[in-house]
Amino acid sequence: MLEKSTDIHDKFWEIFSKQDRQKIDEFKRYMDKFAVNFNLYKDGNFIEQSLPFDVIPRIIPKQEFNKIEKGLIQRVTALNLFLEDLYTDAKIVKDGVVPQEFIDSASGYLKEFVGFSPSKKIRAHINGIDLVKDSKNDEWVILEDNLRVPSGASYPLSIRDIYRKIYPDFFENFKIEPIKNYPKMITEAMNYVNTGGINVVLTPGRFNSAYYEHSYLAEKVGAQLVRAHELVVIDKKVYFKNYDGKKIQVGAIYRRLDDEFIDPKFFNPESLIGVPGLIESYLSGNVALMNAAGNGVADDKGIYYFVPKMIKYYLDEEPILKNAPTYLPYFEEDMDYVMNNMEKLVIKDVAEAGGYGVLFGHSMSELQIEDLKMMIKANPRRFIAQELIEFYDEKCYINNELVNRKADFRAYVVVGKDVKVWNCGLTRYALEEGNYMVNSSQGGGFKDTWVMEL
Amino acid sequence: MGQLLTANVATSLYWLGRYLERIESTLYEIKKAYDKVIDVDKDAGVKVYKKFDIDLQYTDAIDFLDKAIKGEHSANLLNVLKNARENAIISREYIDELAFGEIIELNEIAQRISRSNGRIDCKDMDYAMSLISEIWGAQTKRNHRKVSDYFLKLGKLVEEIDFRLRFGKGQKTTDIILEEVHSIFKFLNPEINIKKFDNKDIMGSIYKQIDELIVD
Repeated sequence: MLEKSTDIHDKFWEIFSKQDRQKIDEFKRYMDKFAVNFNLYKDGNFIEQSLPFDVIPRIIPKQEFNKIEKGLIQRVTALNLFLEDLYTDAKIVKDGVVPQEFIDSASGYLKEFVGFSPSKKIRAHINGIDLVKDSKNDEWVILEDNLRVPSGASYPLSIRDIYRKIYPDFFENFKIEPIKNYPKMITEAMNYVNTGGINVVLTPGRFNSAYYEHSYLAEKVGAQLVRAHELVVIDKKVYFKNYDGKKIQVGAIYRRLDDEFIDPKFFNPESLIGVPGLIESYLSGNVALMNAAGNGVADDKGIYYFVPKMIKYYLDEEPILKNAPTYLPYFEEDMDYVMNNMEKLVIKDVAEAGGYGVLFGHSMSELQIEDLKMMIKANPRRFIAQELIEFYDEKCYINNELVNRKADFRAYVVVGKDVKVWNCGLTRYALEEGNYMVNSSQGGGFKDTWVMEL
Repeated sequence: MGQLLTANVATSLYWLGRYLERIESTLYEIKKAYDKVIDVDKDAGVKVYKKFDIDLQYTDAIDFLDKAIKGEHSANLLNVLKNARENAIISREYIDELAFGEIIELNEIAQRISRSNGRIDCKDMDYAMSLISEIWGAQTKRNHRKVSDYFLKLGKLVEEIDFRLRFGKGQKTTDIILEEVHSIFKFLNPEINIKKFDNKDIMGSIYKQIDELIVD
């Protein structure tokens, strides 16, 4: 189902109808030529490929985006307060708002960090919040919070430039919010928490799926792109190893690898992509880590359920943006509901990400449902259930025709001195009709997102 | 503080410079030899590849092109192009954006040639050479030369010297290039002791200096 058309949409289609469609191929050529890639491993092979791109942008009227912006600032503020509280006083647990058991069983919760406050007490600096617009209530709902290593911002940034070159008419005729400030937002956030030294972007390396993004952002942010062995920890301080042998102190690290790999001395000793001693330096306050270690607890799918309660608890406000209706089989009442309504629910394994571990009741056989029920009963904390949100389709221009596809929207919220929402985001769409899985790792494509007015 | 670079990026830029220069110079020599193989000197290609210590066997001019570019030997140009692309991806933040795009395109030509079973089109060779000229042009136009630009240039010049020595080209020009290499070493690290290049083993002494310059 498509969203109701507005004057902005009408004008967009009017301009689109006058454009030379042959030029659409230029987007793909540009992405290939500049290796705007999202890499995959398939059957043991490393495949470099450009992300599928659709030329029809998602349009979000400025006024509507203003509400999303307020809601995101509220949500991310609360999530930061939650993380800081959880790892220090844990008042929210003591007050019974979030059950201790949920914290203890969250895989992203790292007991080792209890009592530690990072630079400026900010933990979730760069956040990717996934939303969809529910067609039933015509309102935006939050599907997921990504507070660890959210990716994707470089793709709309890269494509916007070429869009302006190929189809300038849209930008001449609409007031489309500029988006080039994203790297500046990151630089400011890095400088704000920097403990003294240079800024670096830590990448797992050339063969990571998002390596393009790492190198793109490092350049635009003005930080050094480094792999683990290009950093060294001496006397609990992190140093960048320059080509001439000189060592330069690092004050902030925008890391693009997960907690468990970041320091083989502290976490997984098998990790070859981590910096030995990094966490000791971090815990000594000698370097800022973006995002903080231990954030996984806040974007745990089970903890997601409690975010509206966190907003009320920390800010004494009603959530501006709602969660998708969610049930925790951990609670008896919810368990009953899930068992009796499995066919219409979406079941998510809290340990999975990237679209993995998501099961749609309506597409499962009776036998599969029975198996799943048994698994949920055996381990209720491992699963959440959500009502299936019938989110709006977006028009896509695929194989020379306009078709409707499910699409979500990842908004980027950057926390430094202030909490800022980027005037753009990553709109991801499913390649097949009726498919709800839009993740890039599931083969989904992306669109530009225009926050605009007439 | 001057521009910072990891040893990995410095090495990648140096090798990118070398590979691009190698592709350009090799293509130039191949084109010259191809013309001779047709009806002047059947062994012209053999002579060129002897300079690379490769014993190249072919039946005619077309086969010479095929073996020179795609043959299983250390001077296989498709592999050199692949290596150039790989180094460009690692060091892309430090390369002119247009130059980066041309390098990727260059590799696309290589992929096309690699996939096709037919004869190699001379137009592709001309196009590849014009792309390389554009790459150097885009790099040269950069207003403020940085450390990274000098690593790329160092690679280009070192490869140029290697070619000149292999092909026995005029010493005077080689000396001028050696002077330039010397001054780049000084610029990239004024603190290291730059020695005079040993005339008996010029390439060996350059490599020793590079090992001192880039500390991994």
